Amino acid sequence: MLPFWLRLRVCKPGRRGFRLWFPVILIWIILGALLIALFPLVLLAALITWRNGPGRFLLFLYPMLAAVLWNLSGLHIEAKDDENDVLIDFA
Amino acid sequence: MSEEKRKVLEMLSQGKITVDEAEKLLAAIGEPDNEAVSSTGGKRQWKYLRVVVDPGPGSESKDKVNIRIPFKLIRAGLKFAAFIPREYQGQVDEALKEKGMNVDLSKITPEDLEEIVSNLDDMTVEVDGEDKVRVFCE
Repeated sequence: MLPFWLRLRVCKPGRRGFRLWFPVILIWIILGALLIALFPLVLLAALITWRNGPGRFLLFLYPMLAAVLWNLSGLHIEAKDDENDVLIDFA
Repeated sequence: MSEEKRKVLEMLSQGKITVDEAEKLLAAIGEPDNEAVSSTGGKRQWKYLRVVVDPGPGSESKDKVNIRIPFKLIRAGLKFAAFIPREYQGQVDEALKEKGMNVDLSKITPEDLEEIVSNLDDMTVEVDGEDKVRVFCE
């Protein structure tokens, strides 16, 4: 399932810093529209470069990208040291 | 019918256990821990790979790392990596060597990658030192 929210926190320990709950679903909508608009060009590029270029990669780009984005939900990265406190969480 | 259920029924027919006991045993067999056991091979189905680093006892360091990566994302990412054009694989190999990983990506097939990921769920690593490092599945 596509993640709906991106929780972002970049701050110094003990300080407020930068905190954000971003509706990342908006990005997926824009990205989806962009990918659909670019699809004929990508298909053409894949056909042209099929023999000795990245044609195969271009053809599989869409399903692979979809697989990565679809499974981002649940990704949680949190790192903290003396100077920085970073959190990236897809929910 | 599973072997366990058959044995319970045989024990019941032989009079070794009572009806109540048989009922309890059948209920226990019929309700496996769905969260931890898959219906396919009885192998645990973990969802996430976790990496947790905490300061060890007496450590002055306050470094903390808490990473949770969905296994499905790892699989999808590895498939992506398999499509790295050959002309760039050398550069990736060099970068990995600099980090101490002597791996030739061109010799790793998608099947190899799948096998690595499918066996990751059996892994638990705990390192107690200045920092306490735990790598496990959940």
